[in-house]
Amino acid sequence: MKNLIQDTLNKIKTEHIAPEPRWKFLLRKAGAWALVGSVILLGAAAIAVAYYLISQLDWDLYRFTSRSAIAYTLPMVPYFWFILLGLFILAAFFGVRRTESGYRFNGLWVVALVVAGILLTGFFMARAGLGSRLDHMMRGVPFYARSIETKEKQWMQPEEGFLAGTVLSASEDAIGLDDLAGERWNVKVDEKTLVRPAADVSTGQMIKVIGTKQSARDFSAAEIRPWAGRGMAGAVSGQDKGCEKTGSCGNRGGMMRGR
Amino acid sequence: MTEEKALSDAQLVEMAKSEPESFGLLMERYQGQLSGYIRRLTQLAADDAQDLLQEVFIKIYQNLNAYDGNLKFSSWAYRIAHNQVVDYFRRSGARPQTAVLEDYEWEKIIGGGIQLEKDIVDRDCAEKVRACIEDLPLNYREILILRFVEEKDYEEIMDILKKPKGSVATLIARGKEMLRSEMEKRNINCF
Repeated sequence: MKNLIQDTLNKIKTEHIAPEPRWKFLLRKAGAWALVGSVILLGAAAIAVAYYLISQLDWDLYRFTSRSAIAYTLPMVPYFWFILLGLFILAAFFGVRRTESGYRFNGLWVVALVVAGILLTGFFMARAGLGSRLDHMMRGVPFYARSIETKEKQWMQPEEGFLAGTVLSASEDAIGLDDLAGERWNVKVDEKTLVRPAADVSTGQMIKVIGTKQSARDFSAAEIRPWAGRGMAGAVSGQDKGCEKTGSCGNRGGMMRGR
Repeated sequence: MTEEKALSDAQLVEMAKSEPESFGLLMERYQGQLSGYIRRLTQLAADDAQDLLQEVFIKIYQNLNAYDGNLKFSSWAYRIAHNQVVDYFRRSGARPQTAVLEDYEWEKIIGGGIQLEKDIVDRDCAEKVRACIEDLPLNYREILILRFVEEKDYEEIMDILKKPKGSVATLIARGKEMLRSEMEKRNINCF
């Protein structure tokens, strides 16, 4: 039996083996945590985009279709981003586990902290408008464009009764509309048309219209909303500026036209 | 030298960083334990097991700066030994062989595995059960060895295998369960 200890010491000396410098280990540790941080940032980006997409959609439109709330809502959920988010949470969890002391942390705590980190960072990213920017960057990717339900898709379904575009002209009983695909529409309005308080039906403004397609380029409006949001805010009660004089039929305080 | 022997592992680690001779004391302290651990896991011939142990010591020496004083040095050293053994199997393409355990070591596993007092585990039964344990996958066999032969507590096993406590508990429970069902399959009922 050889003298293992002496042999090992001799080997250390003759082969000039030395302990690796501490900075290498610190760098490795920092690298492992940086990886976790990066995955959390990616998760935050995913949630910022998901939030942006969700906030852009009008979730109450099922009321104007024959579908139930669930049947209408489920296909609109941004699964692409939620799946990515799930993967990033998993990756961050295992990333933490693979750090030097990660195995010592309670699994539920790790998940809770990862989710909290993603939500918090995602909140700031969403506030900074990163969700919208990232979504628009991704629009060029064919699979992404197909798999995501966007506001534009939601409001470019004239057969379903949803139309959106830029106001070209506005009169007492009709609005000229340039839809999102660049097609011109004649949107009929009457005393029953509900114009949401924040909807500004002035030339150059973007609006969303709920109604019925009458013919190839004619649409009858039941409700008009501003392009951003559902238009409940910003009501100017009962104010009617008069379409003929101003070229605008907006800010009617959610009143039915003509009443 | 006598003074050095009274030093704690952490102090010796600090000294060994600049004086390799101090590392000799650490090797002296853990040679027996690590040698047994490697032997039980690999069933290598004595010389080969010694070569592997030397690799483990060299690895420990190279990684002295990575040692975290919050860990027990023994757990950290076992962890490196575990990694080297796994690496050895990967490198050589060899399959883990039957663990070389002394009778009293098998009895410890059997006693712990089926939760019986050690004194009622009889030697004949140990022989029969040995075959069952031999068939357990390496990770289950290793964890049973760590728990019942090396007599490491859960915290130490966590540190050695870098696995969370829940996983350690699950591995031990499954190892015991596999042992029990293997015994049932082979109609071993000698208790």
